[in-house]
Amino acid sequence: MSEHVLAAEGGIQVGQHPQVTFLGLTLNVDTMISTVIAALIVLGFAVYLRIKATSGVPTGLQLLFEAVTDQIERQVEENVGIRTAPFVVPLAVALFFFILIANWMSIVPHAFADYVGPPTADVNLTFALAFFVIILVHITGFRTRGVQYFRHFLGPVPAMAPIEVIQEIVRPFSLSLRLFGNIFAGTVMVSIIALMPEFIHWLPTTAWKLFELAIGLIQAIIFAVLTIVYFAGANPEEGAH
Amino acid sequence: MSAEALSTQDTVVQDTVAQDTLAQDGGGGNNFLIPNGTIIVELVIFLVIFWVIWRYVVPPIKRVMNQRQDMVRRQIEESRQASERLEAAESKYQEALNEARTEAAKIRENARADAQRIKEDMREQADQEVARIRERGEEQLTTQREQVVRELRSELGALAVSLAGRIVGESLADESQRSATVDRFIDELDGMSATDGQATTRTGENR
Repeated sequence: MSEHVLAAEGGIQVGQHPQVTFLGLTLNVDTMISTVIAALIVLGFAVYLRIKATSGVPTGLQLLFEAVTDQIERQVEENVGIRTAPFVVPLAVALFFFILIANWMSIVPHAFADYVGPPTADVNLTFALAFFVIILVHITGFRTRGVQYFRHFLGPVPAMAPIEVIQEIVRPFSLSLRLFGNIFAGTVMVSIIALMPEFIHWLPTTAWKLFELAIGLIQAIIFAVLTIVYFAGANPEEGAH
Repeated sequence: MSAEALSTQDTVVQDTVAQDTLAQDGGGGNNFLIPNGTIIVELVIFLVIFWVIWRYVVPPIKRVMNQRQDMVRRQIEESRQASERLEAAESKYQEALNEARTEAAKIRENARADAQRIKEDMREQADQEVARIRERGEEQLTTQREQVVRELRSELGALAVSLAGRIVGESLADESQRSATVDRFIDELDGMSATDGQATTRTGENR
C-alpha cells in the first residue's frame, strides 16, 4: 500500500498495464497493440521482400535480410547442422527481426507510453518466445536422438545431474528475463527522466533512447544467437562438425 | 470535523481504488513478472510471423542469394576464360607475326637469289651474244679478206702484168715467169695483212 502511494506520488507506475478480460483471460491492451504494430512492420517487410526480392541489384532492405539470413545460416551450419533442424534458420531470423522491431518501439514518445511501447518490456511476450524456443529445442533433441537425448540431463558424471537439470529449467527464464529486464529497465529509465523539469528532460531522453536502440539491437542478436546455441546443445554430435 | 471526515473518506476511496486495481490484475496478482493471458496472444502473433518468414521470406532470400553467388561464380569463370582466350589469341598473333616475318625474309632471300641468278644469266647471255657477234664478225672479216684476196689474185695480177707489159714490153712475155712474179707479190701482201690482223685482235682484248 505504502509502496503504491509512493510510486503514485512520484508519478511512476512500474509494470502497470491497461487490461481487459476476454474469455476469462486477462489481457494487457498496450502490449497487444504494440505487438500487433511490431508484427505488422515485420510482415510489411516480409511482403515487400517477397515482391522485390531479386538476384540482380538488391534493395537496402533485401541486403539487410540477406546479411542477417546469411549470418544466421552460417551460425546454424556451424553449431547445429542445417539438415537436422532446417527450421532453425527461419526461426532465428523471425526472432531477430521481431524482437528488433519490438525493442525499437521504445523510441515512441513517452506521451503514448500508456498504449504503445516496446512489447518486449512485458514478460508475456518474452516468456512466450523463450518457452516456445526451449520446448522446440527439447522436441528437436528428442526427435533426432530419441531416448538418448534425456541422458544429457544427467551430465558427464552423475553428481552433476542436479546442476544440469537446474540449468535446463532455468534456461527459458534466463532467456526471457534477460530480454525483458533490458527493455523494461529502459522504459523505467524514461519514466524517471520524465520527472525532470520540462525544459531539460528532452536532452537525457533523446540520449537514452538512442542508447536504447543499441540495447534493442544487441538483445535481439543475443536472443537469436542463444536460440541457435540451445539448438546446438540439443544435437551435440551434429554440432561437433 | 467535516474536513477530517472528508479526508478519511478520501483515504478510503483511494484504498478501494488500489484494491480494485489489485483485484483487476487477476490471477497473477499485481506482480508484473507473472504472465497472464496476454502470453497466448503474443505466442499466436509470433507464430504468424515465424510462419510467414519460414514460408515466404527465407526461401526467396536464399534463392536470390544462391542465384547471385552462381552469377558471380559464372562471371569469374567467364572472365577467366576470356583472359585465357585473349592470351591464346595474343600468342597465336605473335606466332603468326613471327611466321610472316620468316616468310618475308625467305621471300626476300629468294628474290635476291633470283635477281642474282637472272643477272648472272643475262650477263652470260650477253657474253655469249658478244662472243657470237664477234665470232661472226671475224668470220665475216675472214670471208671478206679471202674474197678480196681472191679478187686481187685474179684482177691485180692481170692489171699489174698489163701495166708492167706496157712498161717493160716483151721481157715479160714468158707466162711462167709472170705468174711467179705475181704469186710472190701476193704472198708479200698476205704476210703484211696477217701482221695487221694480229695487231687489231690485241687492241680489242685490251679494251
